[in-house]
Amino acid sequence: MREPFNILVAGVGGQGNLVCGRVLADAAIRQGLQPVVGDTFGASRRGGSVLTHLRIGTRDWAPLIPKGEVDILLGLEPLEAFRAAAEYAGGRTIAITSLTKVPTADIDSGEIEYPALERISAALSKLCRQIYMLDTDAALSRIGSPRVLNSFMLGSMSSLPQSPLSRANIRKSLQALLGSDTANLTAFDEGVNAIQAN
Amino acid sequence: MTDGMNDSQHRTMMSGNEAIARGAIEAGIGFCTSYPGTPATEIATELFDLADKHDIYVEWSTNEKVALEAAAGASWAGIPALCSMKSLGLNVASDFLLNVNLSGTGKGGLVIVVCDDPRGHSSSNEQDSRFYAKAAQIPLLEPSTYQEAKDVTRFAFKLSQQFEVPVMVRSTTRLSHSRGLVGKGMLSKRKKAAGVLPEKLYNVPMPHLRHRDLLEKMERIVREFETSDLNMHTNIKDMELLVISSGICSMYVREALHLIESTKIGHLNIVTTHPLPKKTLTSLLENANRVLFVEETDPFVEDEVRTLSADLEELPAFYGKRTGHIPSYGEMNTDTVRTAIGRIDGTRVDEKQLGQAAGADLLIKRPLTFCAGCTHRNFYWAIRKVKKRVGGKLVVAGDIGCYSLGVFYDEAMNTMQAMGSGIGVACGLSKLERFGFDSKVVAVAGDSTFFHACLPGLVNARHKNANLTFVILDNATTAMTGFQTHPGSRHQAQGFRRVEIEDIVKALQPDSYARGDANDIKGLIDLLHSTISRSGLKVLLLNSICRLDQDTSKQESKNDVFLIDPKICRGEKCRICFADFGCPAISWDSANEQPVILDSMCVRCGACIDVCPHDAIKGEKLQ
Repeated sequence: MREPFNILVAGVGGQGNLVCGRVLADAAIRQGLQPVVGDTFGASRRGGSVLTHLRIGTRDWAPLIPKGEVDILLGLEPLEAFRAAAEYAGGRTIAITSLTKVPTADIDSGEIEYPALERISAALSKLCRQIYMLDTDAALSRIGSPRVLNSFMLGSMSSLPQSPLSRANIRKSLQALLGSDTANLTAFDEGVNAIQAN
Repeated sequence: MTDGMNDSQHRTMMSGNEAIARGAIEAGIGFCTSYPGTPATEIATELFDLADKHDIYVEWSTNEKVALEAAAGASWAGIPALCSMKSLGLNVASDFLLNVNLSGTGKGGLVIVVCDDPRGHSSSNEQDSRFYAKAAQIPLLEPSTYQEAKDVTRFAFKLSQQFEVPVMVRSTTRLSHSRGLVGKGMLSKRKKAAGVLPEKLYNVPMPHLRHRDLLEKMERIVREFETSDLNMHTNIKDMELLVISSGICSMYVREALHLIESTKIGHLNIVTTHPLPKKTLTSLLENANRVLFVEETDPFVEDEVRTLSADLEELPAFYGKRTGHIPSYGEMNTDTVRTAIGRIDGTRVDEKQLGQAAGADLLIKRPLTFCAGCTHRNFYWAIRKVKKRVGGKLVVAGDIGCYSLGVFYDEAMNTMQAMGSGIGVACGLSKLERFGFDSKVVAVAGDSTFFHACLPGLVNARHKNANLTFVILDNATTAMTGFQTHPGSRHQAQGFRRVEIEDIVKALQPDSYARGDANDIKGLIDLLHSTISRSGLKVLLLNSICRLDQDTSKQESKNDVFLIDPKICRGEKCRICFADFGCPAISWDSANEQPVILDSMCVRCGACIDVCPHDAIKGEKLQ
């Protein structure tokens, strides 16, 4: 594993960024590693862009990932994944993002519409080494709960060959933090399969 | 990795704020006061959670000044006391601070934790509160890691108890709100028992002699700092550059040096940033030709070091905010440090261009906004309507809270500075008629803010017969920071008594007073219009709802689902519900050129029904 290994979680307030950071940090500790998690939470519940910076290594690393140093970009929302990539992605960044859109509500610029997903996807590929865009809407409606998107995405991330955290550990951490809520674990397991099917 | 595994698993993940709280517990505190404010809130929240276990009295005080005064009382009586607040809170508490520093803090120990917010993520300024430590001439400590946050807080109590001065611990957003592993220490065995107060807890009649005594204490404290192992520096032979940093910036410096892979750059992490240990610094400076300062937010250490270097025979070249190598505003990060070192070294650093190349036009803004169903949106919607009715001649002087977002809502709120300043500014505006000022004046504040700092302004308005309307948006909680209780909250801890805003307002006998329902847009527009049309001091108390507050948001809705009838909706020709009202639960369906209600986000408040001028939005009861 690279020291430090950097995971950036991008989403919108209320999508579960904080939980992702906590789960991944817990999984890192299970593997004997030392995590640092940098959160923004002033905006976390009022519809703003939210980033969680996760540094995993054997010592304390700064709570913000230097530009270009992201190993895995975990996008809970496509536009936010792109926004994060524009600032932080680099030559070795693997992006894995949900296609579930959270519309913007900007009365000052009501004319600007949410960009087409194809354009986001094209722009994201230019900034990252590899990208995975997951049809999360379909998966979530199968599971029957929109609230488990973050668990689904964690599952997907856990099956990337580049993930330094094992699937078993992330799953254990998810269970430890969220309890044995079956919807979250089902979503996690569905997420695992999503990458393989992609 | 076996050692690492044991090590990681014996430590606990803590945010900087939680680590500060833990340090206070290890120091044996018995008393904690605070007023909520990002990024400081979680320090007291954590202590609330642990209060019973460790026998600590914890309160959300009415404001930071009251909090600091109460904490000083405890310290005087011998109980170690922590007072935490955000940057701007210290402005409120500073009057007392610049007196209690002279009076002394007795045997208990008084530690003030202030969390600054560089870049102003959740603040209206990015002030550097360290200048208060300098103004008050008290010791200042700046931890740079989670472990240090705990250890430094514990040390701060020891220092305060030893010298009987308030000690300030300063954090910034990224330390307070990031998490890392912390090894816990033993709990203090000190008994928590109140004793008699020290004598002469006042500075008169000769405050100048108290000042002399404080300066003498500081002389002794700086001697402690000279030998403190908190200030860590790397020993480098043939050092080409020395980086001096404090707080979270030290983490950025460590990482930048790792990325640069230079063996000729030294680093001093200075924790005791006031008073600076002069001998330690000057001996390091004698071996440095070049010095770079990295700190948030202002050049505090940089200027102090420049001052104390005046006696050096040979001055090193100094780089930092004063030379433009480090930006003078905003947050620091690893990239800033790398760029600065690169500029000093003359080595090039590849500065990544921020996504300008690919698809920058896709980056549509995602501004903060009122939540779906937030009644503050209804209030500002009503303000916008009434403002139109009076030909635009209406000014809203605002305040601090979620409702501050009114400044982004078609500028429905015109001014927003400090806690309680809406009513104060309105007092002034209401007296400008003689100079031709002809707008109606409205002041707005939330319930927690009302108690915090609006009372003197409101008394002033009554006394001066100000011609204004004061609107209190009362959701009965401190919503912005996560639902902390305040004197007007519905539920109070055992032994506390609720203070009703209505009782206070009525006691001041405004010329008119009314309660309104912020969930009824039509009623609200009429109430606002009729109220501002009257003269004199008018007060409106609006029953408001925070949809994130589990306590109040569970109101029964008459309808199960809300729909926009596509046959009635005027679509592109109107766009009022989507583009003007701006509820996040109303989206735009580009294919059909019509707005659509997102059922998963809709909280079924029904506000949009009144907003639609064509009666296209309807609520339906499902069978």
